[in-house]
Amino acid sequence: MERERFLARVRQRLAGVDAPPLPDELPATPASGDGRPLAERFAEELRSIGGMVELVSLPGLAGAVAAAAREAEARTAVVAPDLGPFSGRVAQGLRRAGVEVLEAEGTAAWRDACERADLGVTGALAGVGSSGSIVAAAGPSSSRLASLLPPFHLAVLGTDRLVPGFEELFADLPRYLMDFSSAVLISGPSRTADIEMVLVQGVHGPRHVHVLLVDSTRAGSKKKGRPPKAAGPSP
Amino acid sequence: MDTVLERRAAAFEGYDLEAMRRAGEAIRAHTVARLDEYLERFADRAEERGINVFFADTAAEAVDYVRRILDRRGVRLVTKGKSMISEEIGLNHTLEAAGIEVVETDLGEYIVQLARETPSHILMPAMHKSRADVAETFSAVTGETLSDDPAMLTAFSRRILRDKFLTAGAGITGANFGVADNGTVVLVTNEGNGRMCSTLPPVHIALMGMERLVPSTRELAVLLPLLTGSGTGQRVSTYVSFLGGPRRMGELDGPEETHVVVVDNGRSAILSTEFRSALHCIRCGACQNVCPVFRQVGGHAYGGTYGGPIGAVLTPLLAGFARAGDLPHASSLCAACTEVCPVRIPLHDQLLALRRDVAKERAPRGERLSFRLWSAAWRTPRRFLLFARLARLLQTPLTLGGRRLRRAPFPLSRWTRGRDLPALASRTFRERWRRR
Repeated sequence: MERERFLARVRQRLAGVDAPPLPDELPATPASGDGRPLAERFAEELRSIGGMVELVSLPGLAGAVAAAAREAEARTAVVAPDLGPFSGRVAQGLRRAGVEVLEAEGTAAWRDACERADLGVTGALAGVGSSGSIVAAAGPSSSRLASLLPPFHLAVLGTDRLVPGFEELFADLPRYLMDFSSAVLISGPSRTADIEMVLVQGVHGPRHVHVLLVDSTRAGSKKKGRPPKAAGPSP
Repeated sequence: MDTVLERRAAAFEGYDLEAMRRAGEAIRAHTVARLDEYLERFADRAEERGINVFFADTAAEAVDYVRRILDRRGVRLVTKGKSMISEEIGLNHTLEAAGIEVVETDLGEYIVQLARETPSHILMPAMHKSRADVAETFSAVTGETLSDDPAMLTAFSRRILRDKFLTAGAGITGANFGVADNGTVVLVTNEGNGRMCSTLPPVHIALMGMERLVPSTRELAVLLPLLTGSGTGQRVSTYVSFLGGPRRMGELDGPEETHVVVVDNGRSAILSTEFRSALHCIRCGACQNVCPVFRQVGGHAYGGTYGGPIGAVLTPLLAGFARAGDLPHASSLCAACTEVCPVRIPLHDQLLALRRDVAKERAPRGERLSFRLWSAAWRTPRRFLLFARLARLLQTPLTLGGRRLRRAPFPLSRWTRGRDLPALASRTFRERWRRR
């Protein structure tokens, strides 16, 4: 009712107004790809906004996770269920660093665990070379809070999930948003400049963001083009 | 402020900013001109996702709707992300009057709220506060004395506000964009408070001005870099959330129910006017940063929710000339705002057009008559000469041959009471030129 009235009013106000067409082609922006190798550019951009990033091989993943956990001085961690093929090696790495993985049944316990954990480990649907961003989705096999509440966020992402720029990302995003209830583009650590325009890292979200890019050019080249593992069917 | 301008310049260096601006303008113009279709599509898709969509004609309807949700859920504490539209509709005030605690969670907004003030800038709400001011304000919260180190002060707000997020019954945020094709609400933040507000509390409500739509995510490839580059000089904000409804079966976290309130509050009346492009605004704040008037007087001086050039255009249109008709005059018409606007809104042209409309509605009959006579007297060279001669003749009893006019009969006396008027010369320039 209120909707019909509202829309009728808008329609009436716009009667006779010609809409210019949407641009056929969009111009390049600072967030467009520039032809450079994706992993290299991703790493450079993420570092420039205060994030940490390493390119690792699949066999080297456990070691890299352990090193990252030690650097974070983490004693506890939550692990989101979207690590797919990486979950075994991530668990191994955390064990090696002596990190206790907090287990939780149900939403209240999960929230508590995320709030208590020193470290949140998640997968990602995609990474954007031009901006050093990762895409984290929320669905039955992933978590919104694991990348948000802990002070340290460790994300694991295959290099085959990298796209050059926003144009490619926003072409894929509608597909992700069909499968998932929400998604967020995360670009480095949480930040503010609200006090005298001094940049401070770590406001409400994580103070540190560390991305492990798993080289999939050799071991995982067959996976290219397949939908991400995390996009599994809901239970 | 200059730092922001430098960062903006650096952000777009090496790119064809003009092409980006033209694309931004075309996208916004297209969407707003077909707003009815896109609103309908957005609402359909959002509802399919399980989002409750409410269309509010007025500020009061929007506030009422929010209150009904909060009452039904028995909410006593609300955490809020930065939302200009919530300021526009006076949400906090009403909720607080109903005994609901409302906590602003954007650091700048939190500072301003604790100090019992209002935001002074779209993106930097507390830009009028020094670090010492902030330390003092925060110290008053707990009684402990805090240092004025921005990092320490930020850590303090993280600690205090984390507790609020975890206990709030509802989170309320604004919306940077609504995507018509898939019904998601896009929220752009750096601090993460938008994610908190839309994830932790069991209820999330997004307030969205009805013009905030984009047809699809494709257009965001241009609009997002324009927004963040113009606003803060960043390539991308830390978080760009695509909020697509409540937690689904089997999900570990997320809100139980979500709402989008689409607010008109005077906007539809602008659609059929020459000011329609004011609704293209994506709220980057760039026009404020470059405006010589805004930089001198600050956001509070504008009296409304939106300060600076865009505020001087929007506020009179939304709140009426009686309340805000003076604002279009708060400009030197230097056009810096028009040049910087990422979606090419002709702000200074609109300010001028608004002055015309305000004058039409407001000027007393006497004033209008005298200006008409004035313009008649000057319209042709012949008339000008005639009236110059006449005025020269008429002034003699007042100047008594002197070079200044110190006293004059009403209504000129209103002027001469405060200052002298230089007398007209005995010969005009053209007369002197001819007799040279």
